[in-house]
Amino acid sequence: MISQAVPQASIYLPHLAELIRIEPIAEREKVFEFRLKDGKELGHKPGQFVELSIFGIGEAPISLSSSPTKKGSFELAVRNVGNVTNALHNLDIGATVGIRGPFGNGFPVDNLKGKDIVIVAGGIGLFPLRSLINYILDKRSEFGRLIILSGSRTPQERMFVNELEKWHKREDVELLETVDEGDEEWTGHVGVVTTLSSEVHIDPEKIFAVVVGPPVMYKFVVAECHKKGIPDERIIMSLERRMKCGIGKCGHCQINGVYVCQEGPVFTYAEVKKLREAI
Amino acid sequence: MKAKLAFFDFTGCEGCQLEVLNFETELVELLNHVDIVNFREAKTESEDNYEIAFVEGSITRESEIPKLKKIRQQAKIVVALGACACLGGVNCLKNFRPMKENLRIVYGDAAKYYDTIPARPISSIVPVDYYVHGCPIDKKEFLKVTKALLLGKRPEIPNYPVCVECKLAGNVCTFDKGETCLGPVTRAGCNAICISNGRHCWGCRGPVDDPNTNSEKEILQKHGLTVEDILNQFRIFNGYLEVSK
Amino acid sequence: MENKIIEKQNMAPFVDNLINAEAEVIGPKRKDGKYAFDKLIETGELCLDYDTTLLPPKMYLFPPKETLIKFELGKEPEVEPVVEAKPLILFGVHPYDIKAIELLDVAFSTTNPDINYLSKREKAVIIGVDCLNPNPNAFCPSLGTATAETGFDLMLTDIGDSYVVAIGSSKGEQLLTKYAETREASQVELAQRNSERQKALARYKVTLNISPEELPQLLDKSWDSPWWKEKSEKCLSCGSCIVVCPTCFCFDVQDDVTLNLKEGERYRQWDGCMLVDFAAVAGGGNFRGDKESRFRHRMYRKGKYIWERYGKLGCVGCGRCASACLAEIASPAETFNRLKEESK
Ligand SMILES: Cc1cc2nc3c(=O)[nH]c(=O)nc-3n(C[C@H](O)[C@H](O)[C@H](O)COP(=O)(O)OP(=O)(O)OC[C@H]3O[C@@H](n4cnc5c(N)ncnc54)[C@H](O)[C@@H]3O)c2cc1C
Ligand code: SF4
Ligand code: SF4
Ligand code: SF4
Ligand code: SF4
Ligand code: SF4
Ligand code: FES
Repeated sequence: MISQAVPQASIYLPHLAELIRIEPIAEREKVFEFRLKDGKELGHKPGQFVELSIFGIGEAPISLSSSPTKKGSFELAVRNVGNVTNALHNLDIGATVGIRGPFGNGFPVDNLKGKDIVIVAGGIGLFPLRSLINYILDKRSEFGRLIILSGSRTPQERMFVNELEKWHKREDVELLETVDEGDEEWTGHVGVVTTLSSEVHIDPEKIFAVVVGPPVMYKFVVAECHKKGIPDERIIMSLERRMKCGIGKCGHCQINGVYVCQEGPVFTYAEVKKLREAI
Repeated sequence: MKAKLAFFDFTGCEGCQLEVLNFETELVELLNHVDIVNFREAKTESEDNYEIAFVEGSITRESEIPKLKKIRQQAKIVVALGACACLGGVNCLKNFRPMKENLRIVYGDAAKYYDTIPARPISSIVPVDYYVHGCPIDKKEFLKVTKALLLGKRPEIPNYPVCVECKLAGNVCTFDKGETCLGPVTRAGCNAICISNGRHCWGCRGPVDDPNTNSEKEILQKHGLTVEDILNQFRIFNGYLEVSK
Repeated sequence: MENKIIEKQNMAPFVDNLINAEAEVIGPKRKDGKYAFDKLIETGELCLDYDTTLLPPKMYLFPPKETLIKFELGKEPEVEPVVEAKPLILFGVHPYDIKAIELLDVAFSTTNPDINYLSKREKAVIIGVDCLNPNPNAFCPSLGTATAETGFDLMLTDIGDSYVVAIGSSKGEQLLTKYAETREASQVELAQRNSERQKALARYKVTLNISPEELPQLLDKSWDSPWWKEKSEKCLSCGSCIVVCPTCFCFDVQDDVTLNLKEGERYRQWDGCMLVDFAAVAGGGNFRGDKESRFRHRMYRKGKYIWERYGKLGCVGCGRCASACLAEIASPAETFNRLKEESK
């Protein structure tokens, strides 16, 4: 009859976590650092997400933005767009939130080891990618070249400016930045993120592209990757969908027959290509 | 600090405010969190300081317009309360008759003293933040919206048709009983109360964001309604939407 | 499988005994010319010869609205899980609904077992009854769901003066021993059961012109068919088809607080892919923003995705969606037959 015994614990019960640090990063974006109240590690992989609860308001899926190599706490970078995210933005240090997860598959870090990696970030796509970047930097010798192409709409909307500066300075990181629209003070590159690609020279035999950004971005970036000879299996992307449960039950996150919260949010383009609803 | 609430009413049956008054026990609990600084009287002076204004009734006279604008200026959040305020409501039926005639019907010879204009929802005059739909409003929904606003949250008002709640309530569809219904194009949130009580839905909560009116008309026709019948059905509550097109 | 006989005059005492002694008994009752599952107060209300019910019995295992957690607000919030389950007898469940519950069992127990569903399921006894008066939109025989061999504790078949009772579990057997007057079924009576089932097959009005195993392949080829747009034009996005469906299990989750704003609960309620905002995200995006894509998605769920994911059919052919759809577009049988036509 029932293939499994009745479980002991509810998959809908969040763990409690304390907000220990808040840092504004742009007009509508802040980083929030949390510590689980039971003292445990969250134990996530880069590219995974949690369901964040503000009790009385609701839950929202948010990517881990800190690297798992950072112990004792974890960070979420959040744009204020609606009920839960707004309530989070209004919290003070010391507040308690609910956390379920980590959920999802995460970036295939083991496959990336020993390879060159080009990271393409559009807007707040940098939130989950920052977890991967810092992971790579903490285990730098295990990976090949690290190229970061980061695009923002305007100079004001650049995320993690301090960290971008730090990465700029590192010898072992090749960071190229662009904005869609510049202003008087901006002396850098102007244009959408794909316009950076002419400045990058890669060895298509040993490179992985990891792409996260707004839905419209993917098609263009994939075309650019193809031009550079990167095969579909080595183009990796993280997709966003409406989510409620985060654990493969509520059905909201489906792309065709795939549940993004389960099989995703990270897919290779080879997989995405087969999903007609994906991008 | 307690949030300050105010209630105002323009032209309507006041059924919605009666409905609000109807749940004293809940209001008493809520009063721990709010001060009701004004009930009914729309003062033009700005001494009132309130954050959330619930506005009932539609706008049917020139003189109401500055009052409404004043309310909008003062309040952080304006909530339209009930079908009249949200849609123009039943008051819009008069839009289909010449204004002069309306005046005569309502006021007889005194008509010349009144400045009646086509009935319109308050959103046609000022921006409205949230809507509590219905004629009368549903008490549970009013409380839900109020609680959400007190928590600083955008209230989740359904954007699906009454049919969802009607089916959940386990009702037999009125079309299966040889009658007709506006449920398929009307915004849910009332728990399909009319159908559960043996009547049909006449659309008092107004349409969903993107109603499939063509399909609904076809269905009504298939079930024996003429175009004129259909227009009349739609007009009861949604007259303003139609004439404003 | 062991089979017994309950004479018709002994059925009422059996049901009465269950109501009085065992647990809440839920069964099909008349409602405004249709049928609905509801709590039985007395045997007389039970209609075992119904065609189908308005809502499927899954509502007792996966309620339309169900609390998942409770919490206290404030600086140090406290949270606790809420799992409600009580002993329940679902009496008179048709085979297609049993098959649908078997799908829910898989969906709610794989990967992240759902304690809210599984606790209710564990405490539920299912007493089936063969469907001998199928509703005009049903197409169960085409999907192999007209009869069920598993998924029940007892299964009744009306053979005239008596019911044949197939025993599906020891729980079922115990209930029978304890509360019913039964005797062994004879070969003749078992043959009668077969012939009643055969006769019922002839009463179905809708047939699928393709075997269910071929559906995924058919759908693979049909993504760009003009059918989706053409047919969905009339869709009211009213969700009737997903609310009445025994195999749909999608839900929304929301928080609610008490009037004193000090405590609250998080609940889930039925939701579904035919509703406009099902795939909408903050900021105005909607991944299935048009009727066509929603209509197509539901059909793919029914014929392909669920099958591939859970190894069970996503549609059991009960016909409730077709009966409920005012636009007359919701029947998977119509769509699958049409696509089959197109693919020739
Ligand atoms: C895997 C994943 C990772 C994400 N990571 C981040 C991140 O690191 N930082 C960040 O700022 N945002 C992230 N988002 C987007 C974020 O989930 C939404 O902005 C958020 O859910 C909006 O919730 P709200 O309550 O504030 O908005 P409302 O408009 O009030 O949304 C109500 C509910 O709808 C659902 N919902 C609405 N929009 C989305 C959406 N875009 N994605 C999923 N569910 C949605 C949620 O359940 C939400 O609680 C991520 C989304 C996904 C799917
Ligand atoms: S009675 Fe009206 S609201 Fe209910 S299902 Fe039928 S059409 Fe929809
Ligand atoms: S059923 Fe229709 S008419 Fe009745 S309250 Fe609901 S929306 Fe209004
Ligand atoms: S298919 Fe029919 S029942 Fe389903 S949402 Fe569309 S109109 Fe409603
Ligand atoms: S899709 Fe329709 S026919 Fe199939 S199980 Fe659901 S309601 Fe029944
Ligand atoms: S058909 Fe739609 S509502 Fe039903 S289970 Fe599948 S995705 Fe969910
Ligand atoms: S978010 Fe609920 S199934 Fe993926």
